[in-house]
Amino acid sequence: MTGRRRWVALLAASVAMAALPRIGACGTSPGGKLSIEASLDVSSVAPGAVATLTVQVRSAGLNLPDVTLPPLTVDVERPNQPIRRTPAITEHAGTSQSFSMVNNAVERSATTVYRILPQSEGTIHIPPLRVSVGKETAQSSPLTLIVSRSAVSPGKAPSGAVTGPANAPSGRPEVFVQATVDRSRVFWNQQLLLRLRLYSRVDILGDVDWKPPPTTGFWTEGLGPARHGRVTVRGVPYEVMEIPTALFPTKTGTLTIGSAQVRVRVARVIQPPDPWSMLGMPEVVPQDLALTSDPVTVVVDPLPPGTPAGFQGAVGDYRLALHVDSLTVRAGDPVTVRATIRGTGNIATVRDPEIRARGATRQYVVGSSTKVDRNGDRLQGERETDVAFIADQPGALTVLPVAFVWFDPEGGRYRSQRSDSVRVTVLPGTGAPAQAGRAGSGAAAVAALRRKPGPFGALTPDPPAASVGLLGLSAIAYAGALAVAGARRKRLRDPRVARLGVLESLLTQDLSRANSLASRNEAPRAAAIAEQALLRGVGIRYDLDLAGLARSERTRTLRSRGADDAEVSAVESLLDSLGAIAYAPPETRVQDARQAIGAVKERLERYRRELLP
Amino acid sequence: MTGRAAFYLVVSLALLCGPVRAEAATKADAPVDAAALYNAGTEALGRRDLGPAVTFLLAAYRIDPRARDIRTNLGIARARVEESQGSADQAPHPAPPPIALSWTESWYLAIAFAMAGALISWLAAMRPRSTRLLVAGSAFFALGILSFSALLLRAHEEGVHPSAVVVAPVLEVGPAPDERPLPPYLLGAGDEVRLGPSRGELVQVRVSGNVIGWAKRSGLWRVIDAPRYTRNSGV
Repeated sequence: MTGRRRWVALLAASVAMAALPRIGACGTSPGGKLSIEASLDVSSVAPGAVATLTVQVRSAGLNLPDVTLPPLTVDVERPNQPIRRTPAITEHAGTSQSFSMVNNAVERSATTVYRILPQSEGTIHIPPLRVSVGKETAQSSPLTLIVSRSAVSPGKAPSGAVTGPANAPSGRPEVFVQATVDRSRVFWNQQLLLRLRLYSRVDILGDVDWKPPPTTGFWTEGLGPARHGRVTVRGVPYEVMEIPTALFPTKTGTLTIGSAQVRVRVARVIQPPDPWSMLGMPEVVPQDLALTSDPVTVVVDPLPPGTPAGFQGAVGDYRLALHVDSLTVRAGDPVTVRATIRGTGNIATVRDPEIRARGATRQYVVGSSTKVDRNGDRLQGERETDVAFIADQPGALTVLPVAFVWFDPEGGRYRSQRSDSVRVTVLPGTGAPAQAGRAGSGAAAVAALRRKPGPFGALTPDPPAASVGLLGLSAIAYAGALAVAGARRKRLRDPRVARLGVLESLLTQDLSRANSLASRNEAPRAAAIAEQALLRGVGIRYDLDLAGLARSERTRTLRSRGADDAEVSAVESLLDSLGAIAYAPPETRVQDARQAIGAVKERLERYRRELLP
Repeated sequence: MTGRAAFYLVVSLALLCGPVRAEAATKADAPVDAAALYNAGTEALGRRDLGPAVTFLLAAYRIDPRARDIRTNLGIARARVEESQGSADQAPHPAPPPIALSWTESWYLAIAFAMAGALISWLAAMRPRSTRLLVAGSAFFALGILSFSALLLRAHEEGVHPSAVVVAPVLEVGPAPDERPLPPYLLGAGDEVRLGPSRGELVQVRVSGNVIGWAKRSGLWRVIDAPRYTRNSGV
């Protein structure tokens, strides 16, 4: 067998193997270098369902041509009537290409997948698909797809509300969705278990997009996350994904659970045209599917007549428990009573039982809480209600019986449970008169009541009106004091005022002291003080410092400062007379000193008058 | 401090006092009888009704803080509150201090400091070379102003976040309906809190300056409302 004959034989074998499980047709060019094969995954399909058309083009050493699918129609042939044609929807789902080289022979292939969605019954004729490259031309054989309602859709679940896969669709659909309920007839507010299941025997890519069915007339409670498992339907293994939901009818009559919508992306495996090719690995083409479940009808019966007193709508299987936190309390201390309703049913809608007590001065609802367990197929949980009772007087506090009534749908009858009454002994409180004067810790005595009113005062911390006024006055006074002090300090910084101040100090302090010393017969000291005062006063008058200067230098300095001769000689005369007092006879010394001090005072007074503004 | 600064200080204080006085004008300024509040609190304490007891005694303490009987019974009430919450062994007896001033006395003490400062400053202004005396007067005046300002802030805080006492045996303080659900705080009768803004039946509850949630107003009494619950507290 030559290489070419062997290649043709292998090609024929591969085409035959590829055509076995499905309906298809293959055409090869006369040169054998180009071939095209078209195949359908089903021979018949229901209206609205999807059929898959796979077109494979193979070329040996040539370029791969494009394939174009012409518009398809659904033809309805009736006797003695013209053929009626309605368009069929076609979608291009994807194209994949492969490349192989055997014995230096290059082979390329391309697989294109189309989805055909017929909307009405009839026949779809797929014409031959022609491809050509250069002189090589090949065409596929025509295909026929029957569209009939009797055909089974791969994505359609069977009708009926039967639990489990017993009524799975006929045939072997790859993917389908099914909604079932555990019972088709229930009482009002009785739980109904809705199972929404997705069966698949192909790989599902990514997440499943679930759109729950409309449940008008039902209280809906989810039962945990999605569950996964494997089941066998008519001998075919399936992967199952289940979404369980608890439904509680809120209306009576015939209620309908609508269609759930599920969108999935599945992986379709397409065999290569050449099974002997080393590179001919199976091709995976993703395909999006939109699946819907059939509606489910449920009959809801009203609750039977004869509703007992105290029934508040609870349906299910419940138990009541009552707990009192203490059987002995002191007056003024609270007693907390907890009623717990535990069981199976729509626990979130169960109303709290009425808890009452006799002998209580006050009562408060401390709180209530609900716990729901969603792990099983039945919704169950518990609801707690806490009520605090306080008795102010010693004696007894009686918690009255607490009753709870519910309807048992399994038994078809009303049931009730009633607790016993609970007696709580109330002891005198720690603040009661018997123990008055004792604090809680027993360490301090309570002070007695007052008999006289008062004192009176305000509870609000706002400033009294008078205080605001007084503060304003204080601030104004303080500001005034600062202003006066500032002005005084500013005036003292004036040189003329400073010199006046010194002169006044000499007059009022130094000369007064000299006079005093002269009166006490201490003329020499008085003369010395008066001499210093005179020198300082003259220095202030002429802005000089005459201390320590000799007479001639003093005279020259005074003249240089503008003192006339008379002034100079008068000052020098005064200084001479003051200097002579120490040597004067004792009988005239005091008198001379007083005269000299008086002369100095007159001169300094004159200087002061000259400095006044 | 110059005269201009003192002028600005006076204007600032006037602006601060204005809103507080306006706020106070809307409330009842009638004097309240501390004895009536004390007697109501003592009777509630005898009934072990701790919430009203603490409220009445706190109100009486505001008026007459140095009264031995008020301080004693308020301390006992607080001790019983802690005892009822199981924390009596951990905290010392929370009796109020014996040396305390009422709010009115505090205001006038601050005024006294300010007036003394002004007087000393005038003496300093009248005497030459009296810088030390002027500094002493300024210090007194500044002390009075600071005290007054602190009291103003305290009055403003009380006006915005009034003191209140829990009167319900158990008060749930949880998030507002439009806030993220959180477990509630449980306050007991006699717990002292401060209140914030209100939303319908709910009022914001603050503890130590922090907002802890919202609670029903019916479970709380404001201290300034205590006279409304006594038979003879006003004149």
